[in-house]
Amino acid sequence: MDATLHTPKLQHLIYCNQTLILGNGEAHITTMPNNNNIIHSNDQSSLTSSTSHSSESNDPFSTGKWASKLLRECAKAIADKDSSKFHHLLWMLNELASPYGDCDQKLASYFLQALFSKATDSGNRCYKTLTSVVERNHCFETARKVILKFQEVSPWTTFGHVASNGAILEALEGETKLHIIDISNTFCTQWPTLLEALATRNDETPHLNLTVVATPAMERSVMKEIGQRMEKFAGLMRVPFEFHLVTGLARLGELTKEELGVREGEAIAVNCIGALRRIDVDKRVDAIRMLCGLKPKVVTIVEEEADFTSSRDDYVKCFEECLRFYTLFFEMLEESFAPTSNERLALERECGRSIVNVLACDNEEGEGEEGEESDRREKGTQWCEKMKESFTPIGYSDDVIDDVKALLKRYRSGWSLLPAQGENNEVGLYLAWKEEPVVWTSAWKP
Amino acid sequence: MPAEMENSSSVTLAAAAASGEASATSSASQMPPPPPLTTTTTTAKKKRNLPGMPDPDAEVIALSPKTLMATNRFVCEICNKGFQRDQNLQLHRRGHNLPWKLRQRTNKEVRKRVYVCPEASCVHHDPSRALGDLTGIKKHFCRKHGEKKWKCDKCAKKYAVLSDWKAHLKTCGTREYRCDCGTLFSRRDSFITHRAFCDALAEESNKSVQTVVVAETKSSEDQKMQTVQTVGALSSSPPPPPPPPPPACSVISALLPVQNTEMLKNQPLNADDMQPSNACANAISSSSSNGSSSNSMCTSVFSSPSVGAPLQPQTTAYSDLICAMARTECQTSSIAAASVTEPTFLRLSPSNGFTLFGMTAQDERHYVRPSQPAMSATALLQKAAQMGAAASGASLLRGFGISLTTSPDQQESLQGNHNAEGDSVNPAAAGIGLGCASDGGARLTELMTGPSSLFGSKPATLDFLGLGMAVGSTSTGGLSALISSMDGAGRLDIGTALDRRNLDD
Repeated sequence: MDATLHTPKLQHLIYCNQTLILGNGEAHITTMPNNNNIIHSNDQSSLTSSTSHSSESNDPFSTGKWASKLLRECAKAIADKDSSKFHHLLWMLNELASPYGDCDQKLASYFLQALFSKATDSGNRCYKTLTSVVERNHCFETARKVILKFQEVSPWTTFGHVASNGAILEALEGETKLHIIDISNTFCTQWPTLLEALATRNDETPHLNLTVVATPAMERSVMKEIGQRMEKFAGLMRVPFEFHLVTGLARLGELTKEELGVREGEAIAVNCIGALRRIDVDKRVDAIRMLCGLKPKVVTIVEEEADFTSSRDDYVKCFEECLRFYTLFFEMLEESFAPTSNERLALERECGRSIVNVLACDNEEGEGEEGEESDRREKGTQWCEKMKESFTPIGYSDDVIDDVKALLKRYRSGWSLLPAQGENNEVGLYLAWKEEPVVWTSAWKP
Repeated sequence: MPAEMENSSSVTLAAAAASGEASATSSASQMPPPPPLTTTTTTAKKKRNLPGMPDPDAEVIALSPKTLMATNRFVCEICNKGFQRDQNLQLHRRGHNLPWKLRQRTNKEVRKRVYVCPEASCVHHDPSRALGDLTGIKKHFCRKHGEKKWKCDKCAKKYAVLSDWKAHLKTCGTREYRCDCGTLFSRRDSFITHRAFCDALAEESNKSVQTVVVAETKSSEDQKMQTVQTVGALSSSPPPPPPPPPPACSVISALLPVQNTEMLKNQPLNADDMQPSNACANAISSSSSNGSSSNSMCTSVFSSPSVGAPLQPQTTAYSDLICAMARTECQTSSIAAASVTEPTFLRLSPSNGFTLFGMTAQDERHYVRPSQPAMSATALLQKAAQMGAAASGASLLRGFGISLTTSPDQQESLQGNHNAEGDSVNPAAAGIGLGCASDGGARLTELMTGPSSLFGSKPATLDFLGLGMAVGSTSTGGLSALISSMDGAGRLDIGTALDRRNLDD
């Protein structure tokens, strides 16, 4: 089976080229026969001349990643405004791609969506449609399933939770009134273990005020429900607890202490997981300054390691980075989840929406409509630069690092911990997937 | 034994009825009154187990940190194997066909010795809180005041005592946590996260806030009441029949008398057993203070009656327990004990709560709703937590071991086994018939195979709960797990892994 998993990609291509001629492509793609009899073909040639079924190629690297080649080609054609070429490529991709196929087919499918939107200048509309679909289907039930399952099979998110919780617990050690301002996309899934840790703390159990800064969409769908559950769970743990919900992630930089419910005598921790990237690129520094104004004991930042910002103006470059990142992510999902997992599909769809946002949406000129989020990630070093204007880094203690290492051991192989090298003034820790840094976590104080 | 005391000073502690009286008054008046309870327990136990030899004086021994940390001071000249105790070396020498001699001791000459911790800030520094055996004080000192140099590779937990670490290694990652929704977890934090988000927790979300408020208004009264009851039960001998639980406290209060009587019956010899009673009392008062809220909460947490709800006591109830004890001295040791030995698997059937514990007006409110498992799940959770904390001590077994074995040698070794974790024990286990596993091996197995005789002496208690008991035991090396299942009015399956209590060789 393994062999067939790797090999049929070319067959798909070839087969599709045939069926494409027959005008009956879609139906056949999913029922592709998986025999091992491969014809080595040069992707490039089969792309450029759709009628050539195959041409012999000895390039071993060409067999794996047909999707990325096609997609790159297409992105370049779009950037070059070579309409006949990109039309042709889009057509090709449409025949090959499937959100239910293998990794290449999935990537092709979601990137095609973005490229098509870009080519037809319909990115914003597409994004809006996808968002409304997500919101309509988004409920506590599904969100919970997806998030918890993901945590179960991959440290992608739990890595940041463990590191952040560790840093927060250490920074708030001995304090009796805690206020955690949670600006994150984690739907509070990192807090039960923290509550448990507080409950078993040696000294008196502190009072915890948890303020979640959410988007209106998050609030509408699930956050109220989640808030109730947090209250319930804190009660079970006997941790004195308050839960507050503040909407206004988009205007994070403008939020005031009053809005955030900051009170005298509270030890504040700000938890930003996957949050800063959702703020408009130009407002990020303001947001960070605002956080500094809260005088927190600790700010934890977790972001995925990709740069969709500095190359904003170079479409092909940005596309390459986006493709690189999501290829890693999709491969990680493929190895972590069962092939038919609905949770995996949901995560991939979410990526698809994000890819449209990054590659097809014109949110430079957009006035930042309500609910519209940025997805322009930045790398750890870039965040470091921004953070260092207001904050100084806190190193993780050995205990926290041990906890993270122990966490990684529970998952399949392929995960590792990379301490920041200290080059380019970078700080923090990286989660690496097959040696590639994918998630960056760090802790800061004013 | 004398060899152990080279640099020890000894004091005589009059652990007699006088302190028992003092305890009754102090515990009735204030919240953290642990020491008196212990003393009482010790005294009573001694009287009961050594009839006709009323020697209430225990020798209090203070060993130096160096002595306590010393390992394997008795070395075999043949193979260089080291032993912590001369007795063990002697037994070992026998294997080399060397001359050996075991101290013969007769009960008449034995003077009870208790050991205090040299650390001045430690609760066990006070002679009234001294620990009951040498292994116990050594492990206590190492655990609480020593460096944790043994670290688990898998989960990063650290241990100061090698045997704790070894015991942990055997279970690390093998434990299963099952939510009552049916999902199984091998990882504790996944389980915790899941619990918080599981529907079972949310079902009564609207109710909880109100009930908490209601419950808290009653808390101080109830606390006092409970404490008084506890003390009363302990200080009168023979124990009075369980007093009816006050309305606000649910299961725990119902169980309370049982625990107390159990404690009385199994009065451990050691002063350190007081700790369990403290923990117990504290847990009880906390549950009573929060009775209704935890009630509804637990009800909602374990909301499907048909499914077993295996707990992870140290997660939830255990935390509750810890909270309850937040200001008491025994807190630290309980935490540590619990972290050392955690129940492997604990399955509770909440639906049984109706018959088991449905006796208070508060509870009836829940029972009315058929879809809700009776509140007992909460209390059982807390109970489970206590057991989790208690498993290491296993006062039940200790009590039995001491009272039922006839040979002095056996008695001593059993005591060694079960008292190893001398500083934190919870007699509550006995109250609901927790089965404990131990590596005590054959001797212990013997003990445990006759549960009816073990429990026969307290029919009132057991009938009160309506529990039948079946005990099985494994006695292989390392950590052994024993699952005791109780079938009665409510089927209650509790499996608990008991940390290995071993002689030090």
